[in-house]
Amino acid sequence: MGVLSDRDVVLALTDAAPATRAVIEAVLDVWPDHARYMRRSLEARTPPQMAATETLAEAALLLTDDLPECAARYRWTCDRLREEELFFHREGRYRLSTFAEAEAEVYGDAAYMANYVDGLLLTQVLWYNHAASCDFFLRETPAMLAPDSRFLEIGPGHGLMTYMALRDFDLARAEAWDVSSVSLDRTRAALERLGGADVAYSVRDVMTLEPQGERFDFVVLSEVLEHLEDPKAAMRRIRHVVDDARGVVFVNVPINSPSPDHLHLMREPDDARALLTECGFVIEREAFFATQATPLERALRNRVSVSACMLARPRA
Amino acid sequence: MTDAALEAELMEIMRDVLDVDDLNYDENLTADDVEEWDSLSHVRLIVAVEKHFGVRFSTQEIEAMRRLGDLRRAITTKKAGAA
Repeated sequence: MGVLSDRDVVLALTDAAPATRAVIEAVLDVWPDHARYMRRSLEARTPPQMAATETLAEAALLLTDDLPECAARYRWTCDRLREEELFFHREGRYRLSTFAEAEAEVYGDAAYMANYVDGLLLTQVLWYNHAASCDFFLRETPAMLAPDSRFLEIGPGHGLMTYMALRDFDLARAEAWDVSSVSLDRTRAALERLGGADVAYSVRDVMTLEPQGERFDFVVLSEVLEHLEDPKAAMRRIRHVVDDARGVVFVNVPINSPSPDHLHLMREPDDARALLTECGFVIEREAFFATQATPLERALRNRVSVSACMLARPRA
Repeated sequence: MTDAALEAELMEIMRDVLDVDDLNYDENLTADDVEEWDSLSHVRLIVAVEKHFGVRFSTQEIEAMRRLGDLRRAITTKKAGAA
């Protein structure tokens, strides 16, 4: 009996997921040694997680003009992340701690950002914890939302969460806010490609939010708070725009996840929960997804990155 | 430190970091041979080795380590340089 290679197994696992397979084949073309990682990442996924993966891959293909280049940029991004991993495990902290540093090293460097943004797009498909978080969002949110919800995503990035919310949830309207106009223009272009036309875009700094402003029924912050110097101060401000009666927030933050522009380190699940429980919210649903589906206790002990997904309501 | 002693300590670290009990020193062992030895655990392994033996590897040196023997020799070289 012949032994299947990692690549063979990956192709078999994506037999019914053509977009996922296209993304993975492009990555393995530029990075054959990544096949083992890909196999383990896919083997860990449940059927619903595979369905979410395929949705993300279809979106990624729509957002990419040059898939081989995008795959090369994914590899480049993983190289940067490995450098940060090395620093994190040596020093026990994230390398950068201020927004000014991240601006100087990452956000203000157009060439760096071009690579990084494309690389991160593919992580949504390729990393178990990202696809599992997406599946949690799609499965757990509907039961908590009121009909005709007013939707807001803060720091929307590629716009994937807004795109999926518009597609799957009962929304009256949708807004996307970002502190950066460059970032927001990128979101707008992405959502126009994905067909999410009815979104209102606004350049906003959440630190300026006041109690007497507009209110939303569903506010999403996906992989945003770890980029802030003081995420709790931000969440206390964000509380002002969440409807007292109908409001729901979805927060996805990574624990022990070194990255060139991650500033706020959370070491334990309680550090992630505190972003909500200490800022006027009560968590109703939560799940923790470790890299490569590593058991949570072992991931925390070894400081392997874990995505924390939480759905919460305002505290009465 | 003898080679055998160094190899024994190295394997103790590997078994701990990778969470694998039945792992013995083999000069030609690579990540392909050990399911738990992937790009993520490799970084943790290197840092655990650095802390234990009091050495520091460059990114270039880390990327060049394909076989367990490469890591063992790198430790020996670094320790000799530091002595």
